Amino acid sequence: MPELTYREAVRDALSTAMRQDDDVFIMGEDIAEMGGSMGVTAGMLEEFGRERVRNTPISEMALAGTAIGAAMQGMRPVAEIMYEDFLTLAAEQVVNQAAKLRYMSGGQLTVPVVFRTQGGAGWSPGAQHAQQLEAWFVHIPGLKVVFASTPEDVRGLLWSAIYDDNPVVFFEHRTLYPIKGDVPQEIEPIPIGRARVHREGEDVTVIATGRLVHESLKAAEEAEGAGISVEVVDPRTLQPLDEETLVSSVKKTNRAVVAHEAVTRMGFGAEVAAVLQYQAFDWLDAPIERVGAKFSPLPFAPVMENFVVPHADDVLAAIKRTVGKG
Amino acid sequence: MATEVILPRLGQGMESGTIVRWLKSEGEPVEKGEPLFELDTDKVTQEVEAEAAGVLLKIAVPEGEVPVGQTVAFIGSEGEDVPEVAAAAPTEEDAQKEAQKETTSSEPERAQEAQEAPQQATIASGNGRIKASPLARRMARERGIELSGIRGTGPDGRIVAEDVERAEAGGPTAPVSAPAPAPTGELERIPLSNVRKTIARRLTEAWQIPVFQLQASADMTRVNALVARLRERDPDVRITVTDVLTKVCAQALMRHREVNAEFTEDAILLHPSANIGLAVAAPQGLVVPVIRGAERLSLTEIAGVRADLVGRAREAKLRAEDLEGGTFTISNLGMYAVESFTAVLNPPQAAIVAVGATEERVVPVGGEMVVRPMVTLTATFDHRAVDGAPAAAFLQTLKESLEDPGLAL
Repeated sequence: MPELTYREAVRDALSTAMRQDDDVFIMGEDIAEMGGSMGVTAGMLEEFGRERVRNTPISEMALAGTAIGAAMQGMRPVAEIMYEDFLTLAAEQVVNQAAKLRYMSGGQLTVPVVFRTQGGAGWSPGAQHAQQLEAWFVHIPGLKVVFASTPEDVRGLLWSAIYDDNPVVFFEHRTLYPIKGDVPQEIEPIPIGRARVHREGEDVTVIATGRLVHESLKAAEEAEGAGISVEVVDPRTLQPLDEETLVSSVKKTNRAVVAHEAVTRMGFGAEVAAVLQYQAFDWLDAPIERVGAKFSPLPFAPVMENFVVPHADDVLAAIKRTVGKG
Repeated sequence: MATEVILPRLGQGMESGTIVRWLKSEGEPVEKGEPLFELDTDKVTQEVEAEAAGVLLKIAVPEGEVPVGQTVAFIGSEGEDVPEVAAAAPTEEDAQKEAQKETTSSEPERAQEAQEAPQQATIASGNGRIKASPLARRMARERGIELSGIRGTGPDGRIVAEDVERAEAGGPTAPVSAPAPAPTGELERIPLSNVRKTIARRLTEAWQIPVFQLQASADMTRVNALVARLRERDPDVRITVTDVLTKVCAQALMRHREVNAEFTEDAILLHPSANIGLAVAAPQGLVVPVIRGAERLSLTEIAGVRADLVGRAREAKLRAEDLEGGTFTISNLGMYAVESFTAVLNPPQAAIVAVGATEERVVPVGGEMVVRPMVTLTATFDHRAVDGAPAAAFLQTLKESLEDPGLAL
């Protein structure tokens, strides 16, 4: 099994799709010569040329709209939004156009576009370049939302996103690009809407996304030392949500922690908690704990940024509260 | 498919009821609409009728307190299988009862047990609710374990699944509540019925309200003549003095709407209609059925409604809706040798009138001493809602209407 970084895994999915399929192309700000601000598309200009690796003007609205238009014409564009903070500028196109057109045309149009974007704290980019806005898009009927946390998942899910006939907002996490992981020799598509159980446990289920999957796995290790058996589940796709896997895990462990880097208030975890309390009410032995960022714009100062966003010890504390050892 | 018989909600706010006894036994045929069991709520004891016809296949709850909506029996065709029913979930009141038993028990045995396991009973929080996780509640329900007997080890004393398992495995649970034999010849203990508990609670609440009383006596000569005349004309209806009182009170309340009132946190509510409650001594205790819109009813109509309500009150067959919506109450002890008395408010109503016996008294009329049938009315008012002057005006109207009933009719 080859080992790839998360960054290389994204690039591998893009390049493989472009090699086999002329309809697939990528576009975004500085993705060509520069290889994107995070280096994800480095080297792709040389292989695929300017026609298929397209630099765009610095207008997220324009580039998103262009991608949607191309998708409606039968292409499968992958548009890179440099920071997910800038999705706010593309929101009209993503929310009001991409998400609605298939519905409003009575199925005459499809919009097979992927908006790849990244964000996240951990390297002091400040309040406007590190937010986690995935919950905004989960709220929009007509969009699929993916947030992958490992090289294997990001490659398999991006592949499925490219070949999905619906618009997909595809979140990557900045601090995960360098992490390494084994991936299958050939790309194995990972179905959208299927959660992944990273670790099985008996006492509490931690449902985590993005960077917090890794923090939760660390917390689970530590909890094991304290005699608490933790199951860690990554939904991987936030919309559609694999409720069945989450609910059955919680029915087994009777306790749940939801964890993400985004602000806790109205975060994705709130929706998960609502699903769990309704479908597993009679199985819950403790209130569902939520772990997320404090309700604050992200500070530049590293020590303050560190204070605002959650880490493994926050997840561990929540785990301990659910089992009454807090 | 067998039809489930579920515990009905007989009135607003009813959370549970106590099945007193079944009027049909298992295997007996049942017609739709036939009385099936007797249900004691905090307001009434009522017969619950079958909603389906067939055979009473199974009685899931023979007696005792049951939350609204729970399946208590099955009706179906003979020989039909009946689904399993989870054991009755202990209601909060059960839990409270258990907790009370714990603390009020004075037998040496029980005291000793309590000493041995000082922490075994869960301390109910302020409102009597036991803290338990949903899972623990379900497990306790399925295994027939009383939550009140389990000590919670979760945060804030919450009962968690582990505690239920421990209790089931024979850990500390509440002692079985076997009633102790009463010492013979001494103290008789009458357990509180739901109606008694409600009376106690509501009167205690009413006692907190700042009230004042006003008293007036009325000459009942004309009322008596009116009643006699109406009875003569229509012997079947049997108009009573209470009916006339109901009518004149309703008319007086419409003229003095500030008395037909209810005090709330941020407003005084003036009711558009006079719903007159009549305090009735029923076998299970005091009940107050309501004659609605009495200001619009004729004396004959009032007499009909009153006879029906009082009759059913004495047979303990009032329905919850018979007791709801009163805006004023008449408490009449005139049939006893009571000259006058004060009544405790019936919240949220702002006034109640206590009616003594009509008796012959010597009264001065035009400088002469004459003997007249007199009644003393003592009205109690919620001073938060009604001040003295309007209350006095109301009582004066009442007196004048009784002395000259033509004015009210």
